[in-house]
Amino acid sequence: MPVAIVGGGTFGQGLALAAARTGRRVLLWSRTARELGHEHIQCTTDLAQLSQAEIMFVAVPSPHINGVADSLCPHVSGAQMMVHVSRGVVGDELTTVSEVLRRRTPCRRVGVLAGPLVAGALAEGAPSGGVVGTLFPEVADAVIEAIGGPKLRVYTTTDVIGVELGAAFVGLVALALGFAMAQKLGPSTLAVLATRGLAEGARVGSIFGANERTFAGLAGAGDLMAAIAGDQRPEVAFGMALANGMAAEQAAQRAGAYVEGVAIARRIAAWADHHEVDVPISTAIAHLIKGEISGEQVVHELMTRPIGTGE
Amino acid sequence: MKFLPSKPLRLPRFRTYVPRPDDPKIFWFNSERDDIVNEVVRRTMERYDDEEAVELIISDCAYHEVRRLEGRTDDSAKRELDNWRGIIRRVGRMSLEGKHETLRTLAHDMAKDIAGNFDPRVYRFASRAVPGLLTAAMNPSNFIKNVMDSGSRLDGLIATQGPIDKIRHLSKRGTIVLVPTHSSNLDSLAVGWVLMREGISPMVYGAGKNLFSNPIISFFMHNLGAYRIDRRIRAALYKEVLKTYSCVSIERGYHSLFFPGGTRSRSGAIERRLKLGLAGTGVQAFARNQVRGIDRPVYFVPATINYALVLEAETLIDDHLKEEGRARYIIEDDEFSRVERWVSFFNKFFGLDTGCVVRFGEPIDPFGNQVDARGASLAPDGRTIDPADYVKHRGSAVIDHARDAAYTRELGKTIARAYEKETVIMPSQLVAHVIFRRLVRATPGLDLFSRLRHRGDVAIPSAELTAEIGETRDRLVALEGQGKGHPSRLLRNEAPDRLLDRVLGTWGDYHSKPIASVSNGSVIAADPNLLLFYQNRVRNFACDIAGSSPADRVAAKEIAALEKTPS
Repeated sequence: MPVAIVGGGTFGQGLALAAARTGRRVLLWSRTARELGHEHIQCTTDLAQLSQAEIMFVAVPSPHINGVADSLCPHVSGAQMMVHVSRGVVGDELTTVSEVLRRRTPCRRVGVLAGPLVAGALAEGAPSGGVVGTLFPEVADAVIEAIGGPKLRVYTTTDVIGVELGAAFVGLVALALGFAMAQKLGPSTLAVLATRGLAEGARVGSIFGANERTFAGLAGAGDLMAAIAGDQRPEVAFGMALANGMAAEQAAQRAGAYVEGVAIARRIAAWADHHEVDVPISTAIAHLIKGEISGEQVVHELMTRPIGTGE
Repeated sequence: MKFLPSKPLRLPRFRTYVPRPDDPKIFWFNSERDDIVNEVVRRTMERYDDEEAVELIISDCAYHEVRRLEGRTDDSAKRELDNWRGIIRRVGRMSLEGKHETLRTLAHDMAKDIAGNFDPRVYRFASRAVPGLLTAAMNPSNFIKNVMDSGSRLDGLIATQGPIDKIRHLSKRGTIVLVPTHSSNLDSLAVGWVLMREGISPMVYGAGKNLFSNPIISFFMHNLGAYRIDRRIRAALYKEVLKTYSCVSIERGYHSLFFPGGTRSRSGAIERRLKLGLAGTGVQAFARNQVRGIDRPVYFVPATINYALVLEAETLIDDHLKEEGRARYIIEDDEFSRVERWVSFFNKFFGLDTGCVVRFGEPIDPFGNQVDARGASLAPDGRTIDPADYVKHRGSAVIDHARDAAYTRELGKTIARAYEKETVIMPSQLVAHVIFRRLVRATPGLDLFSRLRHRGDVAIPSAELTAEIGETRDRLVALEGQGKGHPSRLLRNEAPDRLLDRVLGTWGDYHSKPIASVSNGSVIAADPNLLLFYQNRVRNFACDIAGSSPADRVAAKEIAALEKTPS
């Protein structure tokens, strides 16, 4: 049975190539017609064709997920498995993408693939790894069968919400690190920002039922390391452009791809304010993006906060 | 294995009973009971087939039973202990056949003790005579009148809401798994009465053995489909046998009732964290039938049971608030076990306008999909889909316990959302909430337990309180359109001052201490514990129904945060 990929962007193409390397037939859907010139990959603009697939990877930015899920709904059934690779959340209550897929399609065997997966490495078959979060062991098995192999190690966890929120927080922290690096802040500052940013994510995640340890794994720390090491994450480019004086809109264009971290910062800051949860880094980033405070003010606010008793 | 000493009482049968063709499935239960028990034993044996597994499960059973029985001094317990200690001594030296035989005996004894019973004669008697007898017993001065017309009085006291016709139709099309909220030991009576009145087939349901201690209640429960669960038994084998029994029953089409809350809500709040171990057997039963080529739909029906007055409120909230040790899972000495509290409760209950509302939610399939009036599963876009697809792997239905456990977990979230949507808010809950909110406002900076010590300290001018009740009620009515609860008919229509009078009157004469009292034109918050209990039913909506004043909003946030207070 073929593997379906929804979304013909660079990440979707990377997944298609990874699946094709395992010998599977791949159906790659995108809004606009394209060709990859690979014997195992059939490009299509017709969602109905994807109903043949046993497993479907959804690789679209979070603003489009509602629409894509609604469009997919008529063509999928309970027999199919859906795994998304989004690093975003939806709406003011931080609804996860897996929850959107469950509510807007008949699919229930849903999962999330995250971690230090880089489109280029997937496409080239360079050694890399990721983690699939799902309650269904058969979904994890299907992901490993579809794209796993000697060049791609796929780990598994049942902490779906932890993987999704971990991936979301990585985007936010990567944005902050891009800004900090462009401001020539030293390695110590970057390390504190990265560590405390993930700790903040773990704190928020635990309120939603996530396991805090997931944030220290591939979906959290692992993915963040890839972002800093130069996986061409748009959040890093956005943060750097912001630090170089560009307004948010221009910085987003410079990033060259949708920047999940911007919406995540805004949503998390708003959610935390409503629920009276302390998220100083997310709040500072949200204000920075809006141009309400400068980088110096962010550093001052974060450095002069009282230190809590938790790690 | 010996179990509780009270044996179930069954009526003698002098000739074979043959159900009529249109009788509900449960009327056939007794003729299938032995077959069900044998199937449970067969599956248990299949599960623990290899030597290591069977020795482990027997040892685990023996270990837990010895621990349970060690503290007892009665002769029956001593005999059982000797038996278990003998098994522990012998099991390591038994042949494989010997271990299998021991397991078979244990599983059979457990299944036989659990297995329920249904007597159509008792059902017919209960449906005609019990409401009258119950009313008459509580109001003997009009005995004959109450016996004759109390069916209609009970009709008025227990209201039903929701898609009844649809559920009735679905109960003929497939197997219903009813999953109501649980606030009182009267819940199974209320639901039983409603099912009877609405012409929906009676259901099998698991009842804790502690509920069978009252001989009259025990007789009716035992003969109307209840199966017995001994919550004292911790052995893994017992839990396995229980789940298998439930699964086999549902596979065979017996409508089943489970309380996913597991036990009565101690805090009075609507359950959010559900225990779906038994209800999840509905998912497994569907899958097993599909594997056998039997297309028998299973429909989960969430329901809320909403009381104006809760029989066991005082004991439940006290248990919730206990600071030392864990709250008791089995409570045997509460108001349900005291005749004088029953009399007092029902005297008050029969004087109410509406004592109880049982509200059914929309039925769903085991995978959380809505179903239409014909019983077909629907995708979010309204298209008909085949629920069998969810249990297929590459085109064939397969049994997969991990998969079904994952489906059950997601189903739990759907049911919890349905509970919030289908809660019927009674006047007592709203009035308690408004008074409690004022108590919170009057005691800033205190934690819950410090607040609860302010008995009789907080006085609210009656006119102010009445106005606040009206405004809060109006905000609650507006929430209904957002899928957050349903104000009861009385709460929706009555004037705020009459609401307050009614609620104070309802609380008075039943609860052993006044919850709120009137003095010098003010309402005094007399019993914060019971105010907390009743208002906990609306705490999820606290922020939505708070007034615009900052003090109200702060108090509402504190009340909403009570959910996080460990019980």
